[in-house]
Amino acid sequence: MSAATSQLQSLLPRESLLWIFAAQLVVLLPHTMHLPIWLLGAWAVAVYWRLEVFRGRRETPGRLAKLVAVSLVVAGLVLTYRRWFALEPMVALLAVSFTLKNIELVSRRDALLSLMLAYFLAATLFVFEQTIPYALYGIVCVVIITAALVAQQGRGSARPGRALGLSTKLLAQSVPVMLVLFVVIPRLGPLWAVPQNTKAASTGISDSMSPGDFSELSKSDKPALRISFDGALPPPEQRYWRGLVYTHFDGRRWSEPGAADGYPRWGRGRSNRRPFGDTSGDDRALPAVGPRYRYQIIQEASHNPWLFALARPNSETRGVRETGDDTLVYRTPVGTRLAYDVRSWPRESVGEGEVLSGSEQRRHLQLPASGNPRARAWAKARFEEGMDGEAISGALLSLYNRNFTYTLKPPALGADTVDEFLFTTRQGFCEHFASSYVFTMRAAGVPARVVAGYQGGEWVDQQGYLLVRQYDAHAWAEIWLPGRGWVRVDPTASVAPERIRDGLQSAAAEEFMQDAFLPLHKIAFVTRLRLQWDMINYRWYQTVVSFDNERQEGILRRLLGEISPLRMALFMGVPMVAALLLLLLWLKLSGRGPSLPVASRLYLRFCRRMARAGLPRNPGEAPGDYARRIERELPRLGPMAVRITRAYEKAAYGSDMLAEKQLRRLVRGFWPLRHTRQAQAQT
Amino acid sequence: MSVESIRKSTHPNTAADQPASTGAKPLFRARWLRWLNRRLPPAQTVTLDHRKLFVLPTSAGMGLLLVIFLLWLLGTNYENNLVLALAFLLVGMLVILPVHTFANLSGLKLQLRATHPAFAGDYGQATIALSKTGKRRHERLQLAWPPEEGQLTDVLDAEPHEIRLDLPLLQRGRVQAPRIQVQSRFPLGLFRCWSWVDLDAEFLVYPQPKPAGQLPIGASVGEGNQQKTFAAGGDDFVGLKNYQPGDSLRHVAWKQYAGGRDLYSKEYASGSDARLWLDWDLLGGRDVETRLSNLCAWVLDAERAQVPYGLRLPGHTIAPDLGSAHKHKLLRLLALFPVQGVSQ
Repeated sequence: MSAATSQLQSLLPRESLLWIFAAQLVVLLPHTMHLPIWLLGAWAVAVYWRLEVFRGRRETPGRLAKLVAVSLVVAGLVLTYRRWFALEPMVALLAVSFTLKNIELVSRRDALLSLMLAYFLAATLFVFEQTIPYALYGIVCVVIITAALVAQQGRGSARPGRALGLSTKLLAQSVPVMLVLFVVIPRLGPLWAVPQNTKAASTGISDSMSPGDFSELSKSDKPALRISFDGALPPPEQRYWRGLVYTHFDGRRWSEPGAADGYPRWGRGRSNRRPFGDTSGDDRALPAVGPRYRYQIIQEASHNPWLFALARPNSETRGVRETGDDTLVYRTPVGTRLAYDVRSWPRESVGEGEVLSGSEQRRHLQLPASGNPRARAWAKARFEEGMDGEAISGALLSLYNRNFTYTLKPPALGADTVDEFLFTTRQGFCEHFASSYVFTMRAAGVPARVVAGYQGGEWVDQQGYLLVRQYDAHAWAEIWLPGRGWVRVDPTASVAPERIRDGLQSAAAEEFMQDAFLPLHKIAFVTRLRLQWDMINYRWYQTVVSFDNERQEGILRRLLGEISPLRMALFMGVPMVAALLLLLLWLKLSGRGPSLPVASRLYLRFCRRMARAGLPRNPGEAPGDYARRIERELPRLGPMAVRITRAYEKAAYGSDMLAEKQLRRLVRGFWPLRHTRQAQAQT
Repeated sequence: MSVESIRKSTHPNTAADQPASTGAKPLFRARWLRWLNRRLPPAQTVTLDHRKLFVLPTSAGMGLLLVIFLLWLLGTNYENNLVLALAFLLVGMLVILPVHTFANLSGLKLQLRATHPAFAGDYGQATIALSKTGKRRHERLQLAWPPEEGQLTDVLDAEPHEIRLDLPLLQRGRVQAPRIQVQSRFPLGLFRCWSWVDLDAEFLVYPQPKPAGQLPIGASVGEGNQQKTFAAGGDDFVGLKNYQPGDSLRHVAWKQYAGGRDLYSKEYASGSDARLWLDWDLLGGRDVETRLSNLCAWVLDAERAQVPYGLRLPGHTIAPDLGSAHKHKLLRLLALFPVQGVSQ
């Protein structure tokens, strides 16, 4: 039947087309951030073409032209993307499909298909970003797409105000259902491995450290981590958020060979076990001593797999595992904000009795074959003096303490970076200190490694979380001491203790954020505003983005007391039924005709009562005639009927307030059935 | 003429199309129609309400359901709550939409104003008034006798809104129109609300005019079935014939010519019934329907030619006259001529 509806009716009018194009543009625009920009161009060409066809200036493209267009766009995609199993090419393919569909956007069917695709494409936006602005933009997208659907209904519906208004109304009414479903529908977790966002540049700490990396990071005040604690809070000097361990040094650059490629590969699957390298084996028994700190970390997208935690971490969050280097990694690069729960044990609880294996020893003593002779000589001399690891470390730290300056703008270093830093320039940033320290300790025969991560953080009191920004990025060292295991040493602390205590901002106040376009951090008001915004973000992330099974259970438990099928059914059912009842009520109210004047309603009540007494008013019978008929057929009620009718006529046509009052009084006291029954009883 | 013998039929669309939406089995169709008749009894005025309306998702609505499922997969696999929220929002829309689609039709009052007679093989037209019973507006209404296209209209104002619906008519007689499909996909086209309304519309269908040659001017069938011919050139006006060169100019029918018609000559005959009788018996040897069709064509021709004409049918004789009322009276007789009243 619907197939038979006329061709004329199913052809798209101008308004329909324009609305579809508007919806597409709104959806496509933000995608240009991760998709090739030529897609937007291709879209514009397709739209132009379609509009020309509409104006009758051009023919609908033939088979050949369509083929050429498809091959051009596909070729463009092939050239842009080498890998197909990734997020961007798939989204690009979606965008391309609706771009090309525009050329043959002919029938209502095509229009609806195009708009359904637009809904989907709007949703893919959230896979890239889950921030508040994106969420708001997503709402705008959905409103406009829905308005475009409304506009397909015809000219009257296509007026912008009408379409947008109706669309907003419909969506607003859908929100309660959405909220209930959001809270109730269980999250299953990934059903299969999905391509991740790969193209985005990784931010934050990278898999290697060469001079200048960290001072680069110090220019950014973007949030990196937000950490909330369940219980005790570590004191500022203990807030070392370990992310990466660098063990390999090539004379200039510290790195973890194969780390960047290796992590994701381990990460396949869902197991939470360690892949290798852990001395305590797969089923590492957690120490008997309880964890010292329990906390949840919300990490911004870094596009790297490594996570951040205090030493000795353990996490139950899905997809997170511990490595042999005492750090955490995620199964894929962190493409969007990620929340994970961590427990950290005190170092002492596991340090006892640990032995460094041969291969580990070699790994942590590795040095380039040559270079930095003076540092090597210094170390050798200390070693020959018979000092143990701890003493050598002490000597080196006091050296730093005496002569070195902490600065964000150190002079450039030549080939022997460690030598030049230790004995010539003596000005540096955390990476210089960590690098030279680990080098020298290794030269002295003490296993050592560089640890990169964040240090410190800003405590946000109102919301109770620690805000760690990119400029809190830090590098420090760990040395292995027999009997004590890995011990953290922060050479920077011996030069600039305020860096550890109060953060970079006070340690390098002169240089801090000097290159920023506007020195906004110096304006207290702006700083406060930014902190406020960060708090909103944090709440948003806490409540919406990282909502998972655990939180779901928590909320349901709080709302329902316990989670039983009956209560769940009630929780789902009651709002639905309530909503339905409200809708029906609305239907009833909005569907009712203009309400009758009071007098008429009273008179109708009189008529109903008369009908019950056996003398209904005939359709179209004038009140006066009716009253006369009553007088004739039921003389007992006659006088009353006449009075009521007279009062009604006065009230209705004379707008007489007094008559209305009288009518009300009369009708209230008028019970014909009772009258007749009484009369019968009397007779 | 007994009521039973009058040609009265239901429209073939009733049998052919409505069941298409339910199934082809005749038994099932019959049951469906019976059920519809019980639920929506024929009436000239029908107000749509919850008992008369049906709502189901359209194919686009099913499409959105598919999109929602895909979004759920996307959101689940990426553990992305915003994608899931969007999916749930669309679910919410699917939940509330049928109510809006229903509300758009509910309260619509349909009233049959008139049906206009038509010739078989032509379209009959019914005038239907649409009005609101409440304050709610009714938008994007589609009224049709499927598979006809029907009309697309809105009922926005308080005063009734008249539309004309066409129904193809094939058989002469009184034709009971099938149920009208009233439907709307407002507001998003994802749900369709519809009803099958029987406005008890009955069309008077005249026979299909089939040319039967020249008007039988001067021809008559006598008692003994022998034909009388009249000598031309008398005093009595018989009728018109096409003008031929050489005809007297005095006999040219100027009045008709001035009315935009061809040039005719008035023919006069003498000593006979000069009026035009369209006689059933003139068409002997043909079957009933053809005779009626031929008579119908003659009626139209005679009216066009402005020649007073009468009709002789078995059981009826209408004296010659002219004019629209006369024409319709005759056509009506032809339309309602019993099917089996007369043996060949």
